[in-house]
Amino acid sequence: MDILGIPVLSFITYLPLAGILAILFVPRERPRAVKIIANVTALLELCATLYLLAGFNVQAEGMQFIERAEWIPRVDAQYLLGIDGISLLLILLTSLLTLLATLSSWEAITERIKEYYIFMLLLETGMIGVFVSLDLVLFYVFWEVMLVPMYFLIGVWGGERKLYAAIKFFLYTLFGSVMMLIGILVLYFHYHTFDLMAMTESGSFLASTMQAWVFFAFFLGFAIKVPMFPFHTWLPDAHVEAPTAGSVILAGVLLKMGTYGFLRFSLPLFPEASRSFMVPMVVLALISIVYGALVSLMQKDMKKLIAYSSVSHMGFVMLGIFALTPMALKGAVLQMLNHGISTGALFLIVGVLYERRHTRLIAEFGGLSARMPVYAAIFLVITMSSIGLPGLNGFIGEFMILMGTFTVNWMWAAIAATGIVLGAGYMLWLYQRVMFGRIQNSANNDIADLNRREIATFIPLVLLAFVIGIYPKPFLDVMDKPVERIVRIVNPEFHEKKNSVTAAEAGPVKGEAHGGAR
Amino acid sequence: MDYSAYLPQLKFLAPEIFLLCVAAASMMTHLFARRNRHRRSGMVALAGLAAAIPVLLVTPAGGEIYSGTLNVDAMSMYLKLVFIIAAIITVALSFRFFSVEGFETGELYYLVIFSVIGMMFTVCAVDLITFYISFETFAIISYILAGIFKKELRSAEAGIKYFILGVLSSAIMLLGMALIFGITGETGFARIAAALPAAEPAVALSGMVLMLIGLFFKIALVPFHMWTPDVYEGTPTPLVVLLSTAPKAAAIGVMVRIMPLVFARFEAQWIVIFEFIAIATMFWGNIAALVQDNIKRMMGYSSIAHAGYMMIGLAAAGRTGGMAVLFYLLVYFFMNATAFALILLVQKGRGFGERIADLRGMARHAPLAASCVAVALLSLTGIPPTAGFIGKYYLLLAAMEKEMYLLAAAGALNSVISLFYYFKIGRAMFMEEQAGAHVFERTGPVTIVIAGSALFLLAAGIIPSRLTEYVWALIK
Repeated sequence: MDILGIPVLSFITYLPLAGILAILFVPRERPRAVKIIANVTALLELCATLYLLAGFNVQAEGMQFIERAEWIPRVDAQYLLGIDGISLLLILLTSLLTLLATLSSWEAITERIKEYYIFMLLLETGMIGVFVSLDLVLFYVFWEVMLVPMYFLIGVWGGERKLYAAIKFFLYTLFGSVMMLIGILVLYFHYHTFDLMAMTESGSFLASTMQAWVFFAFFLGFAIKVPMFPFHTWLPDAHVEAPTAGSVILAGVLLKMGTYGFLRFSLPLFPEASRSFMVPMVVLALISIVYGALVSLMQKDMKKLIAYSSVSHMGFVMLGIFALTPMALKGAVLQMLNHGISTGALFLIVGVLYERRHTRLIAEFGGLSARMPVYAAIFLVITMSSIGLPGLNGFIGEFMILMGTFTVNWMWAAIAATGIVLGAGYMLWLYQRVMFGRIQNSANNDIADLNRREIATFIPLVLLAFVIGIYPKPFLDVMDKPVERIVRIVNPEFHEKKNSVTAAEAGPVKGEAHGGAR
Repeated sequence: MDYSAYLPQLKFLAPEIFLLCVAAASMMTHLFARRNRHRRSGMVALAGLAAAIPVLLVTPAGGEIYSGTLNVDAMSMYLKLVFIIAAIITVALSFRFFSVEGFETGELYYLVIFSVIGMMFTVCAVDLITFYISFETFAIISYILAGIFKKELRSAEAGIKYFILGVLSSAIMLLGMALIFGITGETGFARIAAALPAAEPAVALSGMVLMLIGLFFKIALVPFHMWTPDVYEGTPTPLVVLLSTAPKAAAIGVMVRIMPLVFARFEAQWIVIFEFIAIATMFWGNIAALVQDNIKRMMGYSSIAHAGYMMIGLAAAGRTGGMAVLFYLLVYFFMNATAFALILLVQKGRGFGERIADLRGMARHAPLAASCVAVALLSLTGIPPTAGFIGKYYLLLAAMEKEMYLLAAAGALNSVISLFYYFKIGRAMFMEEQAGAHVFERTGPVTIVIAGSALFLLAAGIIPSRLTEYVWALIK
């Protein structure tokens, strides 16, 4: 499939660069033109990814839209792109959130506008590149490229402690990345290729000890990105200091790269290590869930609260991944999307208040629902989606993860469920403190409701929250084949075990799996 | 002995001979021009150096010539090209520097050329005597160059310091060469290699280590690095571009050549030495750079660290390692040239701003230059899509191929450490507001050098295959 004669994956990867090129030729004195170009580019990008969706074959096994070319033949690095259902969903999420983030920046960014949009689009290229590359070196290149614009977005347009937050973000993630690079090289000297498809198809794996080491190297790279407890400390700083759009992208897409990495690389390439490290991984995920939720309860700053809630939610995703059952894995992938939608929206919601009042302290607000009815409604829907109210997206994902985990160990599911309760606690409490009651602070008397542009940024997210909540089947169908494939590699006994478990236990689980997935 | 072949063999030395003529012409201009003699001598040198590139490119690789004292092979051609490019950029950056500083000096230009000639012979030399003479030729000139800014106390100090320590290390190296000669009775590298296995191992090994110390000093490897930050700080900035790159390239080129050829017998030993030195150098350089405020000192330590990276490739002895080192050498040159040229962008009073704080707000006043410098900083850190990443990646690849996990991990970790100080520069340029009344120079050779380097770093980072294949073919 081509667009304008360019293979479709390359097209969507480099389209933002074309936008950057156009922006470079616009004089600095015409910020409006810059904004229009950036938004149009992001919109075109979304259209292009929808076109990709149209051409995607849900039934097909393996990678699609494969592009292969020589890159550095001397060291076997190739230019190899391809996607499956999981990457497709994340690409769609990326292009949607980038568009919304760009749109939301229209009035929020008043300084150095040209550079801002250049970095925004550069970031999009990096993110899409990560999700489409199947050559490990190429993957690493995009993985790193993405850090640079994010560093600048935080460091230039961020809050008070932006310089500290920016370098902390960069140092943490770079440290994880270089360890992963060493792991990539170990893989290369085992498989003599960087081609991920060839690696998984070869059917051979690293020897046990080495596998554990390389698993650990990749783990550092991905766990810092997720971020998993105890590697999460960069996240609150980065989130609080980043501009709204930066937070949206950071929470919505960048965190997903960690979990995506686990799904795409760790599980299929190190199945033995994944199984043997299952318990420590799950324990870390559970700590993230509960710890993130508890810390969220204590926050005075809205952005920090949402940042810590991300730690908790991403813990859910990690739990789903390392439960190693199809149900939990599908829940994890879906929860990746859900978290992108609801947390992305939450950061936009905070951004709206910040733009009006230049503060994010919860104590500064209260009683806003009277002045901002539309805002209140949207905030409520998103809050519910984040909590996991049935009928909205969060419920499906969390439910599937809990179900899938329950079959492995009911204790894990029970501990994770407390995270949901706590989640309801901090989110509702936040909503209550900000929206309900009387207006105590006179500064909030004249606060304006959402304008049309702002409503437009929320509509797609609210709609998606409902669509996934009510009819998740198309989303689950898309990820069905890749998830099955991962489980076949990492947990081959699962299907055999499923048949041998007593019918009473396995029956309803299986039923749910089909009810949810088909 | 048959001397009839000597005259035709001159053609293999065409670039050196040509540059010798250029240097002479530059010297004559300096002595006899009526007006503006300093500047004119520089112009002659610049034109001559530029013309030397085509001369070099058409010169055939002749293999061993002059009874096996010189080996004009493809690898030496490549290194010669690096030297000439380094000299061109140095000369180009010098014009404005010395006129702003109010200290025009014509001899600088032909001294640069002489030192380049010395380095060109060094990388061809396959005989102890030829090697030592050419090595000293460029070494002595670099002492003079470091101290050429006579009225500046720091420069004089740099020259003296470099001289004393340099001479000491040369003496140690000479002792090593004497031991090697004494035990084998040969001066030609190939013959030494043949005689060495039969020699007394303790003496031969001592000879090798003493020789290496001389080279380590020139490359500034820990623990022979102490002079570097002081000398770089005191040396006029354009000349640091030359001194921080070309002699390192020459000494590393020599090691790439002689270690597998001459000291194959002690491979196990020198690999351990290189591995240890690489790790120590990377950590020392990067950690010491963390606390520097002066860009030149910081880049001094950074250049130590980068020499350590290159040692990874040498320690991972083999074709991949050699390729990685030769690739990195060129990339390193462009990264370093940009970093030092950066200092020349900030004009402060009559001199140049050397402190990181002087760069504040640069992105607003000179966005193009700041972006190009940012590319160089990314490349120095080793972040894609720049050539610095590919270079580091090759080095790690070479280490991993030899299963030197510790070495590879140290290299990777150091790239994280280095991020911290390189981005102090990025932060000052992009994220802090200008303080003080200084101007950012936007025109002239400095911008061309910075933009050209950035372009190269990006191009070689995105499409590295051609350069890779080229350097791969240089290693036998």
